[in-house]
Amino acid sequence: MNSPEQARLVQPGQFVMLKCAAGINDNPLLRRPFSVFDVDRTPGAGRPRGLVLLVKEVGAGSRMLAALKPGQEVDVLGPQGRPFDLVPGTQGGVSAACLVAGGVGIAALYLLAQRLVQHGVTPVLFYGGRTAADLVLREYFERLGLETHYTTEDASLGEAGLVTCPLDRFLKSRIRTGVRVYACGPWAMMKAAHDLSVKHRVPCEVSLEARMGCSLGACMGCVVRHLAWRWTSARSGFGTR
Amino acid sequence: MTASGTFAYGVEFAHLMDLDAIGGIVVKGISMKPIKGNPPPRIWETSSGMLNAIGWQNIGAVDFVTAKLPALRKYRTNIVVNIVGFELDDYLEVARFLNDCPGIAALELNISCPNVKKGGFHFNKDPRDAHTVTAKTKKVCTRLPLWVKLSPNVTDISEFARACEEAGADALSVINTLVGMAIDVEKRRPRLNYVTGGLSGPAIKPIALRMVWQACRAVKIPVIGVGGIATTEDALEFLIAGARAVQVGTANFYNPAASQQIALGLADYCRRRKIGDINEITGSLRT
Repeated sequence: MNSPEQARLVQPGQFVMLKCAAGINDNPLLRRPFSVFDVDRTPGAGRPRGLVLLVKEVGAGSRMLAALKPGQEVDVLGPQGRPFDLVPGTQGGVSAACLVAGGVGIAALYLLAQRLVQHGVTPVLFYGGRTAADLVLREYFERLGLETHYTTEDASLGEAGLVTCPLDRFLKSRIRTGVRVYACGPWAMMKAAHDLSVKHRVPCEVSLEARMGCSLGACMGCVVRHLAWRWTSARSGFGTR
Repeated sequence: MTASGTFAYGVEFAHLMDLDAIGGIVVKGISMKPIKGNPPPRIWETSSGMLNAIGWQNIGAVDFVTAKLPALRKYRTNIVVNIVGFELDDYLEVARFLNDCPGIAALELNISCPNVKKGGFHFNKDPRDAHTVTAKTKKVCTRLPLWVKLSPNVTDISEFARACEEAGADALSVINTLVGMAIDVEKRRPRLNYVTGGLSGPAIKPIALRMVWQACRAVKIPVIGVGGIATTEDALEFLIAGARAVQVGTANFYNPAASQQIALGLADYCRRRKIGDINEITGSLRT
C-alpha cells in the first residue's frame, strides 16, 4: 500500500485501521485493525514509501481487501497503538530478544525483528501454529539470519507441541540479563509466554488484541482486564513487566 | 456537536480534525467516582450499526476536571459534560461538583443508558421519575444549563419530553441507543458479555428522526437531534424535523472528522440555498 507518510511514522508493534468498503458510510461500518508487517522502501535510497499488511480472509472486511486491485484506494487511519519498547529504561539495553509468535501474530513482529537487528540485537524467533500451513512468512525471518524455533501441534513442521516449550528451554539455558520477550498471538499463548517470563525473571511485552471499534480510545470497546481489575483500552503493544 | 460516549474526552481527536469547527463536544459520561465498566466483549457490529454495552467506564469527575478539561478548554468549542449515576444522589453529587467548574457550557443528564444494571430509579420507565431527577438536578445546577438525554426505549417519548420540560430542563437530547441483541449461533452465546446492548449508527436514524419530530411537537425547549447521523443530509433531516442542533455519534468511530464535515456541509447547504440563518430551516417540515 503506497503511503509514504504513514510508512515513515510507523513503529514496530503499531497497526492501521482500514475502511473495508467503497464509501465511508458503507458496511462494514467500523474500520478493521491490521498490524503493519513491513515498510516498503524505495530501491536505492531506501526511503519509506508504503505499508505491507498481512491480510487473512475471515470476514466481509478482509474479503473486500483481498479483492482489491493495484491502483485502488483504501482509507487508512493510523499508525495507531502503542509501539513495542525497544530499550527498557532502567535495565539497560536489550541484548537478546525472544520473538514469540502464534499464527497471524507473526504480522506484528517482522518490523520489530528488523529494528532489533539494526540495533545490534539478535532476536530469536519462536513460531508456533496448528500445522505447517499456519507458519506463513518464515522466509522473511530466516532471511534476516535469525535463530528460529518452529512448533506445530500436528508435528508437520519443527517440534511437536506448543511454542512455549522451546521458549522455556531457551530461557532456562542461558544468562538472562538483557533478554526481553515480545509476544503476539492467541491469548493463551501470550499468557503462557508471559508466565514463563515471570518465572525466568525477564521482561515481557505482549501485543494484545481485542474486538476493536475505533482505535482512538473513544468507543471503549477494546478493553482488556489487567492488574487489579482495571479495564483499559488495549490499543495494541501493551507491556507487562 | 459530537455525541457523548463517541468522542472520548475530545482531546483524543484533536490531531484528526479541527475541534473549533464544530459547535460543541459532549464528553463521555462522567460519574463522581471512576467506573470500570462491563467485562468484554462490549461491542458488536451489526448491519449499518453497532451494539455496545460499555457500562459507563470513565475516569471520574475529579480526574476529568484536572487531567482532561484544562487541555480541552484551550479550544473555543463548547464543552458539554454528560453525567451519569446509579442513584439520584449520584447525579446530584456530580452535577454539584461540575456546576462550579469553569470551562463547561452545559450538563447533559444521562437518564437513558440501557447498559447498567444497578439503580433504584427507573428514569425511563416512569415519566414521574424522569421529572424528579431532572427537577432535583436542575436545582443544584445553578450556573449551567441542564440538558436531558432521553431514552427511545419507551412507548411515548412525548410524555418524557414534557415531564423533563416541566421539571426545568433547558434542552433535550433525543435519542440515546435502542436496546438490542446479537447471538453467536455456533456457540449459542450472546455476542456481548452483558447479553443486551445499545444499538447505534445509521440503522437507528429513522427511529431517532421520528422521535425528535414527536418531541419537538411536545415541548417548547430546544430539542437536539441524535441517532445515526453520519452525513450533512442526515443532519438536515433532523433540523427540518424540528431539532435546534444535532449530535454526531457512531460515525466518529470510523470517520473521526465526521462532525467537522457535517458542520461544513451545513454551511454549504445554507449558501447554496441562500439561507441566512440555519435556524430558518428548523422545524420547516411540510406535511
